[in-house]
Amino acid sequence: MIRDSKFFIENPYGRWVRDNLFSSSSSAFLTFFAGFMVIYSYRGIVGFILNPERMWTSVTYNMKLYMILAYPDEAMIRVWLSVGLALILGGLSIGFYNSGKTISLGGIFQKLFTISAVIAILIALAPTNTNVIQNDGSIEVVEIIPQDVRMLILVPSLVLTLAFFFLRNVKIKNLFNTAKVNLTYFGLIIASLYFIKIPTISLDSSGERIIPDPFLPIASTTYIPWTILYVGMLLFFFIGSLLKNRDIKIMARLIPISWFLCPLFIFSWIFKKPLVELNTVFSADIPSILVFGVIGFLIIRFSDNESVGVYRTPINIGFLVLSIVVFLLPLVFIFKATMVLLLLLLIVSPAIATTKEGKRQLFIVWVVSLFVLTFLIRGASSDTMLVTPTGSIFGGFSLTWLLAIFGTYASFPLGLALALGRTSTLPVIRIICTGIIEIVRSVPYITWLFFASVMLTVFLPAGVEFNLIIRVLILTAFFSGAYFAEYIRGGLQSIPKGQYEAANAIGMNPFQRIFLVIVPQALRTIIPTLVGSVITSFKDSSLVAIIGLFDILRIGTSVIPAQSQPVVFIGRNLEQLVFLSFFFWVFTFVFSRRSMKFEKRLGLGER
Amino acid sequence: MSKKAIVSLLVLSMVAVACATDTAEEEVAVEEEHDHSDESTLEMVLERGFVKCGVSGSATAFSETGADGSITGFDADYCYAVAAALFGDYSKVEFKSLTSAERFTSLAAGDIDVLIRNTTWTQSRDTELGNDFGPTTYFDGQQLMGRNSDGISSSSTLADIDGLSVCTNAGTTTEKNITEGAGLVGATITLVTVEKFSEAMDKFIAGECDIVTTDGSALVGRRAVNDALNDWSIFPQSPISKEPLGPVYRSNDSMWGDVINWVVYATIIADEYGVTSANVDSVDTDAFPELGRLFGANDGELQTVMGLSADAFYNVIKQVGNYDEIYSRNLNPVGLFREGGANDRWTNGGLIYAPPAR
Repeated sequence: MIRDSKFFIENPYGRWVRDNLFSSSSSAFLTFFAGFMVIYSYRGIVGFILNPERMWTSVTYNMKLYMILAYPDEAMIRVWLSVGLALILGGLSIGFYNSGKTISLGGIFQKLFTISAVIAILIALAPTNTNVIQNDGSIEVVEIIPQDVRMLILVPSLVLTLAFFFLRNVKIKNLFNTAKVNLTYFGLIIASLYFIKIPTISLDSSGERIIPDPFLPIASTTYIPWTILYVGMLLFFFIGSLLKNRDIKIMARLIPISWFLCPLFIFSWIFKKPLVELNTVFSADIPSILVFGVIGFLIIRFSDNESVGVYRTPINIGFLVLSIVVFLLPLVFIFKATMVLLLLLLIVSPAIATTKEGKRQLFIVWVVSLFVLTFLIRGASSDTMLVTPTGSIFGGFSLTWLLAIFGTYASFPLGLALALGRTSTLPVIRIICTGIIEIVRSVPYITWLFFASVMLTVFLPAGVEFNLIIRVLILTAFFSGAYFAEYIRGGLQSIPKGQYEAANAIGMNPFQRIFLVIVPQALRTIIPTLVGSVITSFKDSSLVAIIGLFDILRIGTSVIPAQSQPVVFIGRNLEQLVFLSFFFWVFTFVFSRRSMKFEKRLGLGER
Repeated sequence: MSKKAIVSLLVLSMVAVACATDTAEEEVAVEEEHDHSDESTLEMVLERGFVKCGVSGSATAFSETGADGSITGFDADYCYAVAAALFGDYSKVEFKSLTSAERFTSLAAGDIDVLIRNTTWTQSRDTELGNDFGPTTYFDGQQLMGRNSDGISSSSTLADIDGLSVCTNAGTTTEKNITEGAGLVGATITLVTVEKFSEAMDKFIAGECDIVTTDGSALVGRRAVNDALNDWSIFPQSPISKEPLGPVYRSNDSMWGDVINWVVYATIIADEYGVTSANVDSVDTDAFPELGRLFGANDGELQTVMGLSADAFYNVIKQVGNYDEIYSRNLNPVGLFREGGANDRWTNGGLIYAPPAR
């Protein structure tokens, strides 16, 4: 037998091939079949992309439309600031959480070897010709990769593959920090913006198309901001490393909080440019902070007071009733939101404010969160100063982000509350929570979207009018919240009873038992499922196209294929679909890879 | 501190919250003022300072979204024209891009003031749905497109499609028209229905169907772009359905309806006299008294009675243009021409006609 030959037994590569690809005759068949399918579809995709029928300029020319729809040009700095804030935070976290992991020069060459080998294989397998369908239905064969072009890529990549193959065994003691290496890779991508050319279109002053060259360099309005942002990111990377070396403990708390607040701040203030009137700040915001600050102070001050302890239940119920009343009254939103925060304080203060130091810290946290909450809500609830033709500043990718981030943000606490409510021993709460979860989950998302767009206005009291985007956000929060709730309930049920008993045995109160013992363990076990559902909600956000919001998918499938002036892109929907699938794939792939690393760090799947 | 003191402090602070909210209620009261259900749309729009116009946003040449997010096209230009008449500034428009499913709900709910979204005027839409239709700005009609190599020519009729497969988008009147039309002449066809017209077109290009059908304007647009070999023909010469497209507004709102109607008529009258945005300043109003009345020469009494400024229609022509300008700017590039068609001037045998300004 061939598979018992010397090559397959003695050579380590040969043995791997035999053990993994040709271990039995049926697996050999599967290997050949799958390999054939992969190569066949790869050649089909390349033929499709390089087909002269495709007009890729329809994608590149509309890139800004895809990203931010009609966001005004003069406010572009706000878009860059939004991206920049995320990048700077990223740089800071990479520097601060730098695990000190290193990679040897040989390891780098190993990676480069893989990359160049893959390129060589891909270009060798690429098809030479493709079929073009003519108007009369006949098919013409067209050459897409001439032999000299193939050689121009194949020969250098083969040479590099060979070079890296030998270099990867090089024994050099120099070790490189992985974080720095990754930052360098990112820098190389930024640097490439200065050199690469893409197929795009330029128009002269009268809107006529100039056709000098099918490939044009990337616009300076793209690469200059990216360069500045990259430099900022590097700067904050070094600041992060410095803080780590100085061992500044507070950063370990500040960075996650900043990550949490960053999207909220971006969407309510930077991206939006809210119109804030000073008299509403003085008449609503400042009284709200003062009043709730005082109430919070009193709650914290007397939380462990025994004489108040007698009235705890009536006080709690009183606040609950008050908050429901506040919610029903036509008041500014800030009061309603702060009331929820106050209820939270009422629940947590007996557990935390047990010592003088604990009370002091809780009060500081309370005041800071009051300010932050008021600030964010003032931005979010104010009108925008930006003027767009459609009256909405969210569209395209910015809308997708908005839906995905807020869907996750709002649905996670909601899901947690619903899950705890469903496992509660109080029948009323249990029935309500179970009802919400079951009703929401048993109706398709699209139906809920139609509900948001058409019926929600009928249900809301007269005079209360929400923007369509906000209606969709509320609905998405409930929809993914119900799913989250079921995942979390699964996690809760996986916690052995002994954990509850142990928490009781050391004298924890119910709040401490749930939030310090049970929930952390429950969440840890369901991280893969949660990540999966976040990815799902990111992709599901494209369904809003059905109810008339301009998300990235609707731009690609309806808007661009309708453009006739100044450049004709009529009917160019196939290019957009290819681009969008690649676009969504990049994001979900990166996301799931990150979560895999996260799972590894938490040691999941090792129990 | 005694128990009583603590409890009363808490009660006091709750009262404080209630007091602080008094100022907040004013904000809500201001918001409620915007709920004008009895007021005329005209007053509401003038007070607001801009007009909300419902368009498609993805209809080639009628209302398309450009690479910078701006909205242009034949329908969009009529939105600009309404704004020019109301405010003397064509840019005072907020567009709302609507799907065909939500357009009438959106109009009825007051999300938009006027719907100019290539909408066909039909009896049920006019009566049952609570809409009123303005003058038709574009006369469209359903046609078919086939390949010359399949024996189809522009003089073909519905009887010639016997035995062929026809692609169209599902659930629309387009589908019903072709089934009925083919049934009447006794032609047997294989109907292939897809979600969108662009998909039907992709199938037609890929050779999966022999015929594709939708409104003639869309077919002409696609032929101008995709038919490099000049192999495609559009037939029959008189469309198989009538699709008069025009502006739509809510029923029982004559003041507002008059404004929309006369903006359209003003562009048509200006076209009849050959007045364009370029020569509107040099019009001899003494020689053409109708133009004088239209552009507000005699104190613009006709316009002020409508609730507009005297020079409202002058602004429309100056800033947006007459019917012919609007038509040729948007529809000529995709291969739709006026000459000899239903959209030609009535003096040339077309249907574009306006009552006199008197």
